[in-house]
Amino acid sequence: MNQLTLEQALKMLEAAERWARDIAEVPCSIAVVDKAGAIIAVHRMDGAAMATTDIAIEKAWTAVAFKMPTLMGSRWLDPRNIGKLLGDHAMGMIGRGKGRLCFIPGGIPITNEDNELIGAIGCSGVPSGVGDISDTSVSQAGVTALYE
Amino acid sequence: MMNLELAKKLLQKGIEIAQEMETTCSIALVDENGWLVALHRMKGAPSPTAEIARDKAWTAAVFRRPSSEVAAYGDPKASGSGLNTQNWNDRLTTIAGGIPIWDGDLMIGAIGACGATPEEDVSLCQKIIEGVRSK
Repeated sequence: MNQLTLEQALKMLEAAERWARDIAEVPCSIAVVDKAGAIIAVHRMDGAAMATTDIAIEKAWTAVAFKMPTLMGSRWLDPRNIGKLLGDHAMGMIGRGKGRLCFIPGGIPITNEDNELIGAIGCSGVPSGVGDISDTSVSQAGVTALYE
Repeated sequence: MMNLELAKKLLQKGIEIAQEMETTCSIALVDENGWLVALHRMKGAPSPTAEIARDKAWTAAVFRRPSSEVAAYGDPKASGSGLNTQNWNDRLTTIAGGIPIWDGDLMIGAIGACGATPEEDVSLCQKIIEGVRSK
């Protein structure tokens, strides 16, 4: 598996949407991007706020750009880190990437069997970014579906 | 009104038609205010096509006419000329391939396609809309 196809992306979106609808019970937007950060598929569920599509795309893009979940990046930007070396350097991330960097939890990179990056999924719309019912868990539902 | 169910149906139809036309493309569906509802990029379609398809759909939705006709607003001989991206937003495009979807007098959303020639993009959009209406 070297690159994601549209079919695989739709399979992930389907599972993530089902999770958001049945378990989180919150409408949200979900985006899948390829290993270059380019959009493969985006869905906005009925009732999800209109700004969530762009945020979902940005989360997925950031997950690819940094090869890590946006949850980790959000930890860098924690105000409690200010004054520490990590925190002070991470504040420089704000506004980078032509405004596309988004360190809100909910973007997860996707790797293949050889642990190579092949894309990412991002979700936005669930009120919390972290926890059992969150953007991250919606995205995780999508990632899980890919490997089934 | 445009919803995800309708958008998925249109996209599925669109990808079937694109495959028949032996082309690869991106197709975007927006609601009546131009906000993205669903976007699919077929395998093999260049990455910028996704954003361009969305731009075309946005333009068609907010002006309530095909994106190719929006260029008429920039005609220096016409009154109120001076259409440019600064006046609106960076999604504005005059490339053909974005078409509003009407339900009677009510505009329910718009579709944008990008990947083939502008003429093929337009005919793809029209076929998708007709294909779903006839069902």
